[in-house]
Amino acid sequence: MGAIDDLTTELARLPGIGRKTALRLTYFLLKRTPEESRRLARAIETVVERVRECSRCGNLTESDPCGLCQDQRRDPRIICVVEDPADIGAIERTGEYRGQYHVLGGHLSPLDGVGPDELNIDALLRRLGGSGGGGQVDELIIATNPSVEGEATALYLQKLVRPQGVRVTRLARGLPVGGDLEYADGVTIAEALSGRREL
Amino acid sequence: MPLVTTEATVLQAFPYSETSKILRLLTPQNGVQSVLARGARRPKSRYGGILEPFTDGVASFYYREHRDLHNLSDFELGRSRQRLGRDLVRFGGASLLAEIILRTGSPQAAPEVFAHMRASLGALEDAPDGDVEPVALARAWSLIATLGFGPALDQCVGCGVDLEPGTALFFDYTAGGLHCGRCAAPAGAGRIIPGAARTDLLSFLAGEATALDRTAAHWQLLGRFLAYHLIDAESLRSLDFLAAALAPA
Repeated sequence: MGAIDDLTTELARLPGIGRKTALRLTYFLLKRTPEESRRLARAIETVVERVRECSRCGNLTESDPCGLCQDQRRDPRIICVVEDPADIGAIERTGEYRGQYHVLGGHLSPLDGVGPDELNIDALLRRLGGSGGGGQVDELIIATNPSVEGEATALYLQKLVRPQGVRVTRLARGLPVGGDLEYADGVTIAEALSGRREL
Repeated sequence: MPLVTTEATVLQAFPYSETSKILRLLTPQNGVQSVLARGARRPKSRYGGILEPFTDGVASFYYREHRDLHNLSDFELGRSRQRLGRDLVRFGGASLLAEIILRTGSPQAAPEVFAHMRASLGALEDAPDGDVEPVALARAWSLIATLGFGPALDQCVGCGVDLEPGTALFFDYTAGGLHCGRCAAPAGAGRIIPGAARTDLLSFLAGEATALDRTAAHWQLLGRFLAYHLIDAESLRSLDFLAAALAPA
């Protein structure tokens, strides 16, 4: 295999990139100056070398602990548990949350071989004060995805954490803001109905 | 490329690329089929949140002969199973049933297996809180019987003689049932099961959940039996999950 094929194959492994797009990207890179292509290669190398998981929350970071864990303005009494680091970005974009985070690294899924041992749960328990941790957390917001597996994961965490006297809450689920009831799917409407609130 | 429209239950759903999902569906006439639901992970997907494990509905997909993956065209919701995720034993039990079917399933018509799975998911969802565990055991054993490899409990697997009810006998995992006193093969892989446990097992195979004081031995028996009779001897991941869910806090 030649150099062009090698690069095309590697690019085609990226999410959302098919073989044809990968080939187009390869030719695009070949048309740029060598220095520009080297800069891209260096940036990829740097991210691979420097970025790792925060030992405290599991977020992806260059410094350990990560910037979010070190930020003194964030409320350490509230921890929001998410499945993936990308979920942190989604919550941060709302500008509504000022607590800390914890990344599980997935959700419980027996069919895929993901049990509690495969998730970043021990570190969470340590943060809650289970074994030599801070013990200053008042509330755990479980923000796992609103799927069957996400629900089971939330329930598992709730059972694990409740004996420690920490308040456990779950993100609300229902109709999207600005959406149209007519076009919402049955499961979402059913969830919105069961989670209705008093006005 | 004919469009197949059939009742279906989602056994497994996993992401494919950034926007799509692959579903493993159980259907009555087409057995287990894999379909690609394009765009199912987009925020404004027409499928919304319905393509989740254990959901019942009517699926339409373009069936391509000699291909393993077909394109989903539509999925009309029958019954959502979100409630299964709100109890770890219900969730583990449903996952176990799905895993057994996925390990044994084929694209052949299997209307009895389909009917059993639908009824089982309903039973697990609707079981009162204290009864979930025996229901999970009963539905797993009766699924095994429906799939055609249930253990022989009435006649000796060695000599075929009728077995007396209520007596403790040797359950041979490899031979797939009980040995009479004369044929007992203690060197074989298995265990002695008391008469009462045999009666419970008979009820489970018929899909009837009987109340149990202790369930650990039943789970162990099920796990060992499945390990011998499924395609690979690897432990079922759902059984490991159930063991963790049932362990005392």
